[in-house]
Parts: sequence; C-alpha cells; structure tokens
Amino acid sequence: MSATTLHTEAGASDETRATGKSAGRRFATLVVRLGAIAAFAAIMAYFVVFAPGFTSTFNLINVVEQSAILGVLAYGMTSVIIGGGSDVTEGGIDLSIAANMGLCAAVYATLLSMGCGDFLSVLAAIAVGMAVGALNALAVVGLGILPLLATLAVLNVAAGMELTLTQNTVVGASSPLLAFLVSGSFLGISALAWALIVFSAIIIAIIHGTAFGLRLYAVGGHPEAARAAGLSVPFYVSFTYVLSGFCAAVASVLTVSRLSASTPGSGELLLSVLAAALLGTVFSRRFVPTMGGTLLSVLFIGLLANGFQLLNVSSYWVNGVQGALILLVVAITSFARGSEGSR
Amino acid sequence: MTGSMKGLVKALALGLAAACSLAAISSVSAEELSLKGKRIGVSAIGTDHYWDLMAFRGIQDRVKELGGEVIALDAGRKDQQQIAQLQTLIAQKPDAIIEQLGNLEVLNPWLQKIRDAGIPLFTVDTATPHAINNTTSNNYNIGAEIALQMVADMGGKGNVLVFNGFYSVPVCKIRYDQLKYVLTSFPDVKIVEPELRDVIPNTVQSAYSNVTDMLTKSPEKGSIGAVWACWDVPQIGATQAVEAAGRNEVKTYGIDGSPEVIKMVMDPKSSAGAVAAQQPYEIGKTSVDNAARYLAGQKVAPFTFVPAVLINKENAAEKGKPFLDAAEKAGVK
Repeated sequence: MSATTLHTEAGASDETRATGKSAGRRFATLVVRLGAIAAFAAIMAYFVVFAPGFTSTFNLINVVEQSAILGVLAYGMTSVIIGGGSDVTEGGIDLSIAANMGLCAAVYATLLSMGCGDFLSVLAAIAVGMAVGALNALAVVGLGILPLLATLAVLNVAAGMELTLTQNTVVGASSPLLAFLVSGSFLGISALAWALIVFSAIIIAIIHGTAFGLRLYAVGGHPEAARAAGLSVPFYVSFTYVLSGFCAAVASVLTVSRLSASTPGSGELLLSVLAAALLGTVFSRRFVPTMGGTLLSVLFIGLLANGFQLLNVSSYWVNGVQGALILLVVAITSFARGSEGSR
Repeated sequence: MTGSMKGLVKALALGLAAACSLAAISSVSAEELSLKGKRIGVSAIGTDHYWDLMAFRGIQDRVKELGGEVIALDAGRKDQQQIAQLQTLIAQKPDAIIEQLGNLEVLNPWLQKIRDAGIPLFTVDTATPHAINNTTSNNYNIGAEIALQMVADMGGKGNVLVFNGFYSVPVCKIRYDQLKYVLTSFPDVKIVEPELRDVIPNTVQSAYSNVTDMLTKSPEKGSIGAVWACWDVPQIGATQAVEAAGRNEVKTYGIDGSPEVIKMVMDPKSSAGAVAAQQPYEIGKTSVDNAARYLAGQKVAPFTFVPAVLINKENAAEKGKPFLDAAEKAGVK
C-alpha cells in the first residue's frame, strides 16, 4: 500500500515538474514571439517616423502592388506547409513554386506572342501550373519521396522546361488582360493591388472559413489522427501541391503584366517566398502557418525594401535583414516545437 | 609604386582624359558643373560584372563629387526588384534618374512612367526613346573594329564560333550586326551554325563547355579559326577551353575590357586575340555630367560616346596597361 502511494506521489510530482517545465517553456516562447512581433513593429515605427513619404497612400499602394506576386506564391507555399506539416525537414514544402511560375509565365507569354488570345493562354498557363503541382503530388504522395527532395527535383524539371521553351531569352507579351492589369484601377487602387486583395480574401475564406480548411490543418498537424478520423490524407496533401501550382500560374500572369514579358530568373523569388511563409508563423499563437500571417509577412518584406530605399539605406541590407529574420523565426519555431514535443 | 611610375600613370590617365574631352567637346565646362542640393536616383540591373560595377561606381562618385545626393539601387540581376525599385524611386521624386542596363522590353514602360512623372531620365549603355541622353561607347565602331581584327588574324578565311545569347540587349545587337556587316565583305569567313548561347550566371563555365564541345565536334586543326562574343566574360571561358584542348590556332575576341581578359591578351602565349576595352567608369561619370548640364538648363545631345580602345596582340603591352592601372586603383582585379 505504501509502495503504491509512493509510486503515485512520485508520478504526481513528475507530472507537476513536467507541467511546470512546459509552462516555463511556453512562457519563454511567448516572450520570444512577442519580442519578434515587437521587432517588426519597431522597424515599421522607425520607417513611419524617419522614412520620407513612407505613410503616403500612394507609397502604400505601391508596396501592395509590389507584394502581389510574392503574396500569391507565398499562399501556395503556406497551403503546402499547412497540409504537409510544418516540420522544416520532413514536412510540406514546395521548392518548385518559383520555377513553376517561370515556366507558366513562359508558356503564357509564348502563346500570346503566337497570337493565341488571353483566354486560351491563361488557361494553358493554369493547366501547366497545376500539372507541375500534380507532378509534385505524385512524387510526394504517390512515390513517398521527401517533399524537400521531390520538389527540388521538380524545380529542375520546371526550370529546364522554361529554358527549353524560351532559350533563356526575354519573351515580350501584350494583351488586353495585361494592359488592364498594368493600368486598370478602381477606387484609386491599381488592378495589381486588387488582385492581391481579392486573392487573399478568397484563400483566407477557404483555408480559415470552411470545414475543408479545418480538415487540412488536421491532416498537417496530426496525419495519424486525421486518418483515424476517416480523412483521406493523400487527397488533402495532393490538393495542396496542386493548389500551389495554381498559385504559381496566377502569379505568372501577374508577373508577365508587371514586366511586359516573361524573363529568365524567376527562380530567384524562392527565397523570399519561403521567408514569407516561414515568417508568417510568428503571427500565430501556436506557431502554425496561417494565410493572414503570410499576408502580414509578405507586406512586411515589401515594406522593408521600400523603407530602406526611402531612407536611402543600401539595398544590400535588405537581404541580410531578411535572412536574419528567417533565422530568428525558425529558431523560435523549433523552440516552440520542443515544448510541444516534451508534453 | 615608385615616383616615376606614378608619373607615368598620371600621364597615361591625362592622355585618356584628353581623349575623352576630344570626343565630348562640351566637357570643357565640366569645372563649373554642380549638383548641390540635387538628389539623383541611380538604378542598375546588376553589378556582378566588372563593366557594370565600374559604371555604377563612376555615377555615384561623380554625383558626390558635384555635391549631389545619390540614391543608389542595385537590383541584383532581378527584373522584379528593379521594377519595384524604379516604382518607389518615381514616388521619391528625385531631380533626375540615371538608369544603367537591363532588359529594354521590361524597362521601357517604366522608363515612360519616369518621364510621365516629369523626372528627367538619363541612361548608361541603354538606348531608349525615353532618355534625354544615353552615354555609351560607340558600339558601331567597336563592333566593326573587333570584327575586322578577327578577320585580319584569320587571314580572311575560316570558321567562327559566335556566342549570340543576348541579341535582345541593344549594345549586343549593334555589335553582332556590325560583325555580320563586316563579314559580307569576307565571304570566306563563315559563322558556324547553330550559334552558341552565352548565359548569366555561370557564363564562364557554360562558355567553356560549349566551346569544348564544338572543338570536339571539329577535331581537325584549322577547322575553327576564331570565337566571337559580344562581351568578354564568355571570352574567358572560350580562351580557357581552346588552351585546354591544345588548339592554339583558335583565337578569341570579345568586348568590354575586364582586367582578366586584358591580361590574357597581353600574354603572348594566350589564345585571347583581342578585346575592345571600354571605359565604364568614365561612361558613368559622363552620364552624370550630362544630367548636371541638363539640370543647369544647358542643351544635351541625345547620346554621348566615350572612346574605347582596341587591344590586340601587337599593342597590348602599351594600350592595356592604363586599363589595368585604372582597375587596380578602383580595387578590382
């Protein structure tokens, strides 16, 4: 009898210690998270006070416009991370998204220059984008390859196809849709900025406002539990890669409108896309990727480059600061994961 | 560096300066130019190449020399970033904008927006109807001179490997078209089809493997006489490939005058035949002078040519040195 009591007591004290440790850790995580947000806020406040013209409506709309392409791509990346789980090495990731956009842009611009209309060309770009997404899904879900490696391979496939199609040249493009995206405006806000606003509203509604979105989180957060609850995990994970491909195609139309052409070098955007999707987790209490968080970090990245330029600080700093922030956020995220793991 | 060496360098530099002032007569009034209280925006597509970096520096140094404030933007070879930088720059309303290189097709609508916003636009090495002045080398001359040198070295006959990946860049188009024009007079000099494609990045490695492949395809000596590129970074890879293959009868030709290539041409054993050396730093400075003149209410011509020098095997020792000294002074090897 005394042995049992002892055992229970020992167990209870163990539990108390664990709870205390986890609470302490959770508190520390909270402090670090709020610290990161405070750093974001401090940088913004500094720009508001010292960067000339930073808060003018014109400038802010410019930044939204400049963030549209990155934003649409980052939504694709975020959906993959939500559905595949946010473990950086084994979770969902789509390294091919920027190269896919380059391929879609090349297809779109080439078809336009061949005289195909907007309708057919956009449709073809979307088909190509989703096909590349489906290839990712096949590699990850069908063949069970780590997303990091599978999408890296698909990145090369997409980049190679783009080079084959364009021979590494600039393909000029013009069409009524492109002209509208470049010069259209409504309520003083340009068409490209509207594109980001509308796309954001739709994707936030789907991922955060529907049962489908909730199930997607369940699949990414705990695949075994989701499977036990009767959800088809492969379907949801595949869906995110195809959605990511769709986002790449939408972004490709925006990019061709902004550059009046398809140009080589789209792959360069990948780092910013990853940065936006990873930074976004700071804005969620449980460090999960959210569409709203992604939107905020996309705008933050845009404002960072903008503020530095207005302050006449060398653009070389932007990359450094962006890299430092990613490191900070990934560190915090792993820290927070650690506390979850110990529970 | 000894005193007499310094004197020599100074004399050569003065010679260069004199050559410049001959070309641009209006630079007599350079002493009175001022940009006090003016803000000049500078946008470059990238500075990873020697030429780009020197021109970009020349612009910034000259603006500061004239007492102006410079907003310097390097897009790191990313079109998206350059467009975003230009868009923000327009909102900053500088007194003038100097734009250096990039994809014309991408840039033109935005250069138009700069003019629509009432900001005077000057360009470096970028011919566009939207610029008040374009400062550049005389690429018509350069293109013809390097082509003629090549034809002379080949003895008027043989096959040429041509890198033509950047026909969409205006200066490359001019140089390539001049090559073709010169070759119409020498029907025994033939361009090997298909033409090769130079790329950015990995320019040197890619040129090396392209040329190696072509030499393997035509193994008999003398079947290829020369390699031509519209700039000199592919020339580096081509020269290395030719030497590695032991095909010293093949000579390489390019344009720009990166220090590395000038050294190759100066080396009698190297297969680098000739390079047309431009003065990117002077080009950058001259574009600022043009902007300053325009802002002071003076008339500015639509283009200004800064002289380039053809460096070949015969004159390399003498003509190459001032360029290497200038590069060393700028801290670029």
